[in-house]
Amino acid sequence: MVRLPQAPLPLMLALLLAAAGASLVIGKVWLPPVVLFDGLAAPKPNLAWLIVTELRIPRTVLALMVGATLGLGGAVLQGLLRNPLAEPGLLGVSGGAALGAVVAIYFGLATRFALATPLLGIAGALAAGALTFLFGRSGTLTLILAGSAVSGLAAAGLALALNFAPSPYAAYEITTWLLGSVAEREWSQIALCTPFILAGWLCLAATPRGLDALTLGEAQAESLGVNLNMLRALALAGVALSVGAATAMAGAIGFVGLVAPHLVRPFVGYRPSRILLPSAVFGALLLLVTDIAIRVIPTSSELKLGVLTSLIGTPFFFWLVLRLRRLSP
Amino acid sequence: MMLCNDVLLLMLVPKDRIASITYLAHDAVEALLPGADTGVAVNHGTAEEILLQKPDLILAGTDSAPMARKLAKAVGARVVEVEAANSFADIRRIVRQVGEAVGEPGRAHALLTEMDGKLAWLASHQPARPLRVVAWSGSQAVPGRGTLTNEIIAASGADNIAARLPDSRYGSFGLEALLAAWPDAILQGETRWSGPSLQDAQSLHPLIERYWHGRRIDYPDAAYACGLPQSADAAIALRNLYRELPAGRPRW
Repeated sequence: MVRLPQAPLPLMLALLLAAAGASLVIGKVWLPPVVLFDGLAAPKPNLAWLIVTELRIPRTVLALMVGATLGLGGAVLQGLLRNPLAEPGLLGVSGGAALGAVVAIYFGLATRFALATPLLGIAGALAAGALTFLFGRSGTLTLILAGSAVSGLAAAGLALALNFAPSPYAAYEITTWLLGSVAEREWSQIALCTPFILAGWLCLAATPRGLDALTLGEAQAESLGVNLNMLRALALAGVALSVGAATAMAGAIGFVGLVAPHLVRPFVGYRPSRILLPSAVFGALLLLVTDIAIRVIPTSSELKLGVLTSLIGTPFFFWLVLRLRRLSP
Repeated sequence: MMLCNDVLLLMLVPKDRIASITYLAHDAVEALLPGADTGVAVNHGTAEEILLQKPDLILAGTDSAPMARKLAKAVGARVVEVEAANSFADIRRIVRQVGEAVGEPGRAHALLTEMDGKLAWLASHQPARPLRVVAWSGSQAVPGRGTLTNEIIAASGADNIAARLPDSRYGSFGLEALLAAWPDAILQGETRWSGPSLQDAQSLHPLIERYWHGRRIDYPDAAYACGLPQSADAAIALRNLYRELPAGRPRW
């Protein structure tokens, strides 16, 4: 195997830092950096300070968390299923999470009990992921088919929710919410979902050794002492917790989990354990840069984050399919 | 089949001349003319109902006009297509149009004279300093130039800060833009639609609660959704609500 030059992780971290800086400066309202710095030093509150601390920092933090979650989730799923097309969105996990969150918000559970949205998001992600795993165990093709069946089920559930929306206004809100966004979320909401996302990351952080062994095949991995059921349970729980909570915050954002692992693989090698962290960092970078692009692109109605990731991700998906077709006999 | 037309119809003709109104109109009627639709039959815009109720005239919105024409042929009714009104000029036009169509031009003229009187009063009693306001219930679909809401705000003697959006009727007006524009008051539409929504779940952004506390004005959505003679009353109601705002500008 040809080894490409390494050390992209420090480079990616530097880019991430630069993007985070840009994310604090760039917004729909242009404030020159000088004004921003003056504002941070001036007596508070003032406009610059409010915009940065209450709007741009939460938005940046959320984009980083959601992007990292999707990048990490995609990398773990691709390693676990040994399938280059595995990703939370394509396996129905994001759809299940979105359905759970929509039910929580629009059927009044969230107003009575704030944790209902992340909890139902996680439950939906867990149910969808478990269904896909259950039906798609026997190979690449069946897994993708099971994933699309589960996505279809989630879409049907969402259509049903739209059908029974409590008001035309709620139906409009559901559709816009589903397009995905990290804008204008409050600190309190972010605080509500962060523990779940961190717990999910912890579960996923326990998988690399098993994923490496799994590249040799299931029987070989078991002979190496890997508990496959435990590995699957950890991966599923980790993805459900982190993607479920992230989706409850930001809506359904597709393709980041698919694109991130593929783009870092040529630089860090093909061992699953080496991909997880770079993929998470790259996912965060990708989503943050996309979110910055949204603020710069002049549209009278704000372009939604999930819409742009899908527009970028779909051609990549086509390219992957073409490449798979070339590689397979 | 267009709820605003039905409200106008209820103002122009006696109930016994109305074959039916759309089931969607009830909430708007409750807000604008309480009780005016009691005893009036409703329709759901279906062909069967039209065939059963056999109207002589069908008032259609722009979207429902092609369907209405097809149905009208079957029952021998006349179709009048009424455009949605987005300004007081539009309102004058459609009230006259519907008044002519139902044979009540005098009644239509009286409604418009009353409306214009109210508008003239508002224009001659302009506040010394126009307030800067925005109709904002979340950063999506904020009414800008070319909307009825914008006209009502202008008639009430205030400046709609979202009217400076690039020329589009409704657009995104995010919290950043809201903070930068720092309006004197935020108008919030009260839908009569009950039921949970994302806005209930997330409440209002804490920044709005913090800095515009006591400077939020609730207005009935129905009066702004339909361009009717009552739109002048909506502007007067806004003008009166401005007086209840705390003096001066909202503070940091």
